[in-house]
Amino acid sequence: MNGLFQKGEGLQTLVGPPLLLLHKDSCPLGKLEGKKLHEICSSSVTHYKQYPPNTSKVYSYFECREKKTEPTKLRKVKYDKTVFYGLQYILHRYLKGQVVTREKIQEAKEVYREHFQDDVFNEKGWNYILEKYNGHLPIEIKAVPEGSVIPRGNVLFTVVSTDPECYWLTNWVETILVQIWYPITVATNSREQKKILAKYLMETSGSLEGLEYKLHDFGYRGVSSQETAGIGASAHLVNFKGTDTVAGICVIKKYYGTKDPVPGFSVPAAEHSTITAWGKDHEKDAFEHIIKQFPSVPVSIVSDSYDIYNACEKIWGEDLRGLIEMRSADAPLVVRPDSGNPLDTVLKVLEILGKKFPLVENSKGYKVLPPYIRVIQGDGVDINTLQEIVEGMKEHRWSIENIAFGSGGALLQKLTRDLLNCSFKCSYVVTNGLGVNVFKDPVADPNKRSKKGRLSLHRTPSGDFVTLEEGKGDLEEYGEDLLHTVFRNGKIVKTYTFDEVRDNAKLKESELEDLLL
Amino acid sequence: IFIIQIYNLLSSFQITHYKQYPPNISKVYSYFECRHKKGGQYNEVVFFGLQYLLKKYLAGRVVTEEKIQEAKVFYQMHFKQSVFDEEGWRKVLEKYDGRLPIRIKAVPEGKIIPRGNVLFTVENTDPDFFWLTNYIETMLLQMWYPITVATISREFKKILAKHLKATSGSLEGLDLKLHDFGYRGVSSQESAALGGAAHLVNFCSTDTVAGLLMAQRYYACPMAGFSIPAAEHSTIISWGKSREKDAFECLLDQFPSGPVAVVSDSYDIFKACKHIWGDKLKERVMERSEDSALIIRPDSGDPAETLIEVIKILEECFGCSQNSVGYKVLPSYLRIIQGDGIDLNSINEILEKLSDEGWSAENVFFGCGSALLQKINRDTLNCAFKCSYVETNGKGMDVYKQPVTDPSKGSKRGRLCLRRNSDGFIETVERGAGKPHEDMLVTVFENGTILQEYTLDEIRKAAQLWEEDVSPSEHNKEDDTSLEIHQKHIINGVH
Repeated sequence: MNGLFQKGEGLQTLVGPPLLLLHKDSCPLGKLEGKKLHEICSSSVTHYKQYPPNTSKVYSYFECREKKTEPTKLRKVKYDKTVFYGLQYILHRYLKGQVVTREKIQEAKEVYREHFQDDVFNEKGWNYILEKYNGHLPIEIKAVPEGSVIPRGNVLFTVVSTDPECYWLTNWVETILVQIWYPITVATNSREQKKILAKYLMETSGSLEGLEYKLHDFGYRGVSSQETAGIGASAHLVNFKGTDTVAGICVIKKYYGTKDPVPGFSVPAAEHSTITAWGKDHEKDAFEHIIKQFPSVPVSIVSDSYDIYNACEKIWGEDLRGLIEMRSADAPLVVRPDSGNPLDTVLKVLEILGKKFPLVENSKGYKVLPPYIRVIQGDGVDINTLQEIVEGMKEHRWSIENIAFGSGGALLQKLTRDLLNCSFKCSYVVTNGLGVNVFKDPVADPNKRSKKGRLSLHRTPSGDFVTLEEGKGDLEEYGEDLLHTVFRNGKIVKTYTFDEVRDNAKLKESELEDLLL
Repeated sequence: IFIIQIYNLLSSFQITHYKQYPPNISKVYSYFECRHKKGGQYNEVVFFGLQYLLKKYLAGRVVTEEKIQEAKVFYQMHFKQSVFDEEGWRKVLEKYDGRLPIRIKAVPEGKIIPRGNVLFTVENTDPDFFWLTNYIETMLLQMWYPITVATISREFKKILAKHLKATSGSLEGLDLKLHDFGYRGVSSQESAALGGAAHLVNFCSTDTVAGLLMAQRYYACPMAGFSIPAAEHSTIISWGKSREKDAFECLLDQFPSGPVAVVSDSYDIFKACKHIWGDKLKERVMERSEDSALIIRPDSGDPAETLIEVIKILEECFGCSQNSVGYKVLPSYLRIIQGDGIDLNSINEILEKLSDEGWSAENVFFGCGSALLQKINRDTLNCAFKCSYVETNGKGMDVYKQPVTDPSKGSKRGRLCLRRNSDGFIETVERGAGKPHEDMLVTVFENGTILQEYTLDEIRKAAQLWEEDVSPSEHNKEDDTSLEIHQKHIINGVH
């Protein structure tokens, strides 16, 4: 992500080693270079002292908890199922291979002494890992295949320490693993939007052609960091193929791999500065210049710098109409409004363009603009406004073929861990040689109850998913465990290509049928 | 080999912009602001984070021939045609040895600036590189994040300061009152570092270790924040449901000196407080000194109600005393931290309820996770980067957008400067009319070199709370409304 701006030799390109920002060559203050030693909440540093004596195993799991809301508080969007994605990135980037050296352990000790004003760091534990495992992590992670679409409330992955001395390690890796909430949430929210688009596209045009380009990632500028951009954009590309956030492509190529040279595409487009730089009285000259620069590919031109409706009616609709009509179906002009109420603006723009350009009625009886002109709405688009706009277009008899959407903040930033209630909890420990199923069950919130014991995920005879608790999966009544070991003792033992991820996450026939009911 | 680079800097469509500007354009000048929005919640912002971006991504040599070649190949596939400005980048390489011929002028980091003002400007220093200004737009727009976290964190501080002053008579311990719990709830490690550091502009307590490293590496602060040993549910429930007391006792044993926080809601927070802390382990708790307080942590239920009920139970079991301004304080070895469901609204609600019931804010600490580091976006402060001035055919022209569909999206015009006017208010002067000696914007970056740096200490000083934030009732109401009036004049595009 910072490759263009990376100094020094031998650094991993994506924001350097998990040490994050310390660059030993250029910073005299750089102390902490250890990979694993700081991607944790401070308090986790002290947890090794808190488990019962003679604890030899700690087993934890991750799920997107179900939340039973009161009937009065029905959410607009339910998110019944989640897309599992992003673990492979975390494993490759932060957990595999040698993650500590003696020097790093020393430095961590010093930093934590300052930070806690006390000696609480588990130096002995980390030295043990260094010596016995050459700094590789003795934990095992089993997970659902990436791209899998699983109902809420099911186990998605489990983590367990493989060495009795390292029981505390399960909890140490919790903070970094919980950050999987983000790619899961982006991929899930993106897929829900795909369902909405699929439904309306099918209803108003009879086909799903172009669906994968209907929601374009505009989110690069609106995310909190370069690294977030990469992870989030890659999660969106699980469901779609249009993106302006190239960092996502880099994550996919580096951590997943695809058979295609690139998994995401874009088109030339204007932005306000390339229009306003011509001056207020020269908007037409700006438009004309740009449209001529890109004669044989789609070109998107933001048209609301001064007056979107005037731009559509006078400039596109009259002054430059000839130029537009010359363009082929592979190279449409895409008009981009960027302000005002999204639905109202889209409808009014379509109406104006519909008066200036010859409309066609498609096989489903909906109006379509000629193939050389389209619209993209990239302002204020989130899952709710998306639904409103496509519903409004349908009501006014406009086919969804006419439009594409761009989404930025709502796609990649306006999400939190609470949206899907992502949670990592301990469910089983071995103390004094005895296995104990453990759980939390706060009196004030039944939603926060956690699962018990060793877990596995299975399919019932009717095809539903079920999580078995308390080691019941061992009984083999429910067939094989859908959780596969992906990581063991520092090695990644199972990977998925991005093509496999996309395949697992694609919309199923049955889902499409349900949508169209 | 995988090199992330030019194409990681910008949104894809920007790569095509060099072809879209008017012919003979020789300068593109753009600026960044947190636009003023009527009825918006936050009136002023903390400027923070630019130094990180400059040091990490923009300073020094940023392009090589190899990277140019790879970018060319990449864009060919991404656009399915040739749009990459290979020549332009090669010129950067040849003429400037890969350093960016750009000038950035910015408000000093840590400064508090009212919404609707220019915070930094960007322009090319060489006419051949007019396209470079907006090339770095996407990256510089990510400034929205550290600015917003630092601003929200400071808003928390205002609320805490007000209540602490009112219910205890002093601000002692203010900078430890809000603990950053956001590490697991943020979208990436890098965001954790940046957000964590932004919080540390206002406070000193954090569990987001990455933020400490960021502050150390980019803002010259060896140790910007502190934490304490604390339990989490796994370290309690691993003892089994019938042994919660043993789990609690282990914590007291393991951490005899220094504060320790113990999450107590695994099964029943109220019973835990009443029967375990308040009874079975009561003596152990009372043994602890003021510097080694037990800090009880609820983590479920309604944040305000749970807290009040817990504090009442603790009052029953341990008693309390009255401070110099007449509010109740638990014994010094006992405190509470509420880290669940905390945001600007709930924290105010909780503190109000506490003081209504006669409790001092000294009794409680707060932890905040996603509301601090994740539940924010570029629209929270309406952060925008816009072109305001160009030079074409040797002539300068003020440019702007002014969409009829949304006047609040209008942008500023011409070359800008930031100054304090004769009434003492900070304002932006447009159209190149500003006087250089008045300009608060400082050149921080020019042609690849960082010219001005700030330490976290300097930033913390600049971002301190003002008197009126701490004691609003003591302040002349006139002053508040006159700021609002002033703000009204800073609606973009209207003069």
